[in-house]
Amino acid sequence: MAKVRGLLVWIASLAVLLLLPGLFDSVLSLSILNQMGITIIFALSYNMLLGQGGMLSFGHAVYFGLGGFMAVHSLNYIEAEVFSLPVILLPLIGGLFGLLFAVFIGSFSTRRAGTVFAMISLGIGEMIAACSLIFVGFFGGEEGISGDRTMAPEFFGFDFAQDLEVYYLIAGWVFVATLLMYLFSQTPAGRIANAVRDNPERAEFIGYSQRMVRFISFCGAGFFAGVAGGLFAINYEILTEENLNAITSGNVLLMTYIGGTGVFVGPIVGAVLLTLLQTVLSNYTELWQLYVGLLFVATVMFMPAGLTGVLMIHTVAWKNGRLRQLILPYITVGVPAFVLLCAIVGLLEMLQFYRHGVVGEHEMTLFFVSVDTSSVWPWIVTLLIAATAGYLVKALTPRLLSAWASANAPLERAKT
Amino acid sequence: MNSILSLTGVSKSFDATEIIRSVDLDIIEGERHAIIGPNGAGKSTLYNLITGRYSVSQGSIRLRGRELAGLQPFEINRLGLARSFQVTNIFSNLTVFENIRCALLWSMQYRYSFWHLVRKQKQLNEESEQVLQQIGLGARKDMLAGVLTYAEQRSLELGITIAGGADVILLDEPVAGMSHTEADQSVELIKRISEGKTLVVVEHDMGVVFNLADRISVLVYGEIIATGVPEEIRNDIKVQEAYLGSLDEQDA
Amino acid sequence: MVEIVIFSTLNGLVTGLLLFMLASGLTLIFSMMGILNFAHASFYMLGAYFAYSVSLFLGFWPGLIVAPLLVGVLGALVERYGLRYVHKSGHVAELVFTFGLAFFIEELVQFAWGKETKNYQQPEILDFPLFTLFGQNFPAYKGFMIFISIAIFIGLYQVITRTRIGLIIQAAISHPNAVSSLGHNVPLIFMGAFGVGTALAGVAGVIAGPVLTTFPGMALVLGSIVFVIVVVGGLGSLTGALIASLLIGLLQSYAIALEFAVNDLLALFDISFDADHFLNDLWTLSLPQIAPVLPYLLLVLILIFRPTGLLGKRET
Repeated sequence: MAKVRGLLVWIASLAVLLLLPGLFDSVLSLSILNQMGITIIFALSYNMLLGQGGMLSFGHAVYFGLGGFMAVHSLNYIEAEVFSLPVILLPLIGGLFGLLFAVFIGSFSTRRAGTVFAMISLGIGEMIAACSLIFVGFFGGEEGISGDRTMAPEFFGFDFAQDLEVYYLIAGWVFVATLLMYLFSQTPAGRIANAVRDNPERAEFIGYSQRMVRFISFCGAGFFAGVAGGLFAINYEILTEENLNAITSGNVLLMTYIGGTGVFVGPIVGAVLLTLLQTVLSNYTELWQLYVGLLFVATVMFMPAGLTGVLMIHTVAWKNGRLRQLILPYITVGVPAFVLLCAIVGLLEMLQFYRHGVVGEHEMTLFFVSVDTSSVWPWIVTLLIAATAGYLVKALTPRLLSAWASANAPLERAKT
Repeated sequence: MNSILSLTGVSKSFDATEIIRSVDLDIIEGERHAIIGPNGAGKSTLYNLITGRYSVSQGSIRLRGRELAGLQPFEINRLGLARSFQVTNIFSNLTVFENIRCALLWSMQYRYSFWHLVRKQKQLNEESEQVLQQIGLGARKDMLAGVLTYAEQRSLELGITIAGGADVILLDEPVAGMSHTEADQSVELIKRISEGKTLVVVEHDMGVVFNLADRISVLVYGEIIATGVPEEIRNDIKVQEAYLGSLDEQDA
Repeated sequence: MVEIVIFSTLNGLVTGLLLFMLASGLTLIFSMMGILNFAHASFYMLGAYFAYSVSLFLGFWPGLIVAPLLVGVLGALVERYGLRYVHKSGHVAELVFTFGLAFFIEELVQFAWGKETKNYQQPEILDFPLFTLFGQNFPAYKGFMIFISIAIFIGLYQVITRTRIGLIIQAAISHPNAVSSLGHNVPLIFMGAFGVGTALAGVAGVIAGPVLTTFPGMALVLGSIVFVIVVVGGLGSLTGALIASLLIGLLQSYAIALEFAVNDLLALFDISFDADHFLNDLWTLSLPQIAPVLPYLLLVLILIFRPTGLLGKRET
């Protein structure tokens, strides 16, 4: 039964991947989908370290970037007819190159977990990023390295000049890479990685070298990051220092954490959400990064298990058949909380407009309402809305908490 | 008299303090051997030396004649020696079933395989179930280990220790912090799972020790002052002076 | 040659001492709480921006006092209402939190002050050459930076070795778990340590702002370097942090000043290569080029071979 359901999930995901371009067929949405696919593989590979292996890395972009650079170079070699390879296999080159570096760096960095590992990853990341401005031959300096994917031999008549063709290439790799990473988590090496994450010492007393276990996960993560880098190379046909520096490393940590590190699909949710924020929200507001920062800090503080983790903690109530008890309290707290959020966003946007907007312009559009920031009234009204909503949230939260407690109480006790 | 684990002249110093002083100890194959001693006598340190957590300062520890000094804990474990911990030491974010299955992986030759799917390994899963039944946690298999009760966690600790099929088992205060009934059940469980194996147990509860052990060694201030069958130890004057007398009064 | 050595040394000293001011706060926080504060350089940046805003109304000198105080209060609030909740989830969660904080503060600074560089100036009173050597001026402001940094080191050292609070700090450094059993109010001590540590970063920001320019990326520039210093110096060791700061400062200023390249070295052995050789980047590698790499190389080597750092007693 569970087996059939698992298979169905994979078939359904494949169908969704194939049908998505039918729903979103504009150039913009295709490019967003492509970016999403690349990011999904990258974030999943990061979670092989953080979520499954308990390794916090501040330099995962190194393997992404190096894989990508190697793939771009390969494109150029193909164009120069040094060797020939269909574009569709290029991510494999990226992956192998990422793996090569992961083998080398992992051989010493996985000796310890925790803070030491985090610091080594930071140091390596900064080193490679600094090197990229030195070794101009490989990294291309400030301009980076570019290539042309259409110069590669055609693959069953596809030359990948169209975005849609690239989409199917990426979607195919997303499916394969996700499946492989999921399967890895179900192997002895993957299971024992979780054990080492929880309790490295005990793992040693059941016969496993914690270092070796971490090393294997590390290599896997390096490989799939390289695959993502290779896809990036195909999609954008250019790689620069930015693709392997601390900012990219930080971004992947951010989205993985927000999505949730404890559930396999967590990083996928994070990658989809963050890509949407990056591409869609950034069209509407200059402050989108501030909101991402707020979201991240709030996640770390209030829901360290991430968005998917928040969903997962409902399984007890669901199994108890008491999920319905939570609907009303969620609505009564959720509505004012949403209003509060909107009011805060409104205040921030008005401030931003007031401080940095065009001189002489006072009118801005906020949630489809035209607002005059030079008048005091919009400020007062928004503040009042925020205060009222905040009060309601505070007053109603205890009810939500008690509803939560009763929905999660063990069944036997509830019956008596 | 076939000695399976033998310590000769084992010493351990931390900085200038000598915690273990030239300990000689022979564990005979198939026996149930208890190590007792007052708090701070160095019992846990002795375990940590045997299992490779600490390195010995002097002397030699041999398992079936093979020197253990310089080996990592996981290497010693692979030679067939497993231990439990005084403070519960389990994989708290994995399910109970997963805890046991992980403990079985190495002994079933899976090593670091990333080409087997654990779900499909029939024998592995069946044996995990068996261990679960043995330690009485069959009904808890899908729960996270971290949310079990204390006594259940101690059982799981035992299960992880024995799952790998090691034939020398070191238990560190297996009934500490348990109620009387829980302790009695636990002793029965230990007797069952150590059948046909060599068992070394550190324990404070004298009732448990005399119930369980074939032989007893007394460790005081890092030295073994006596080794013998329970009757001998009970009647040993040195032991009574150093240690047992006070405890017997407590028992009475 | 002599002038290069002297000026490189002086510049290295200025950079090194500035780094030390940042590192001392970070070391304090780590010693007391076991937290590697990723956002430390962000508090340094806030110090510069606060001081800039204050200087618009009151001039440079009030900013030197007010800005670090503001930063310290902000730091204490962050500990009280943020870090404290994350603390129970372990060190990795704390690291992630401070990382998020760094990201957030950078966005906040851009929101409040804008993306452009701020015209934050050194005080006019210090705008003169302290001395002139070989026709090159050494600005008085740099002398002032050296003075402040040394004063802070002496002050901290006195506090730690001579006062009751210092005794608690020392105890916390060597036995992190024992302090609570002595009956001290640990949450308060933590809040204080975080406040003081971030205030020190604030001071560094105030005096570095005019020299290193005040812009939203200034935290990123120094952020990782400060980590290098506390790890290399030995976590929890103030003297180690001082040595490592000076080491990194001097290393960088010398490396920038000395124009040696690999082919200069090879020329000594009469080896030369064509410019179109495919490893050309390697032969033309020069000291100024590898200067930014050196600190991180040092960090990785130290972590592999001596995880306690130069003078530290505790592992990371």
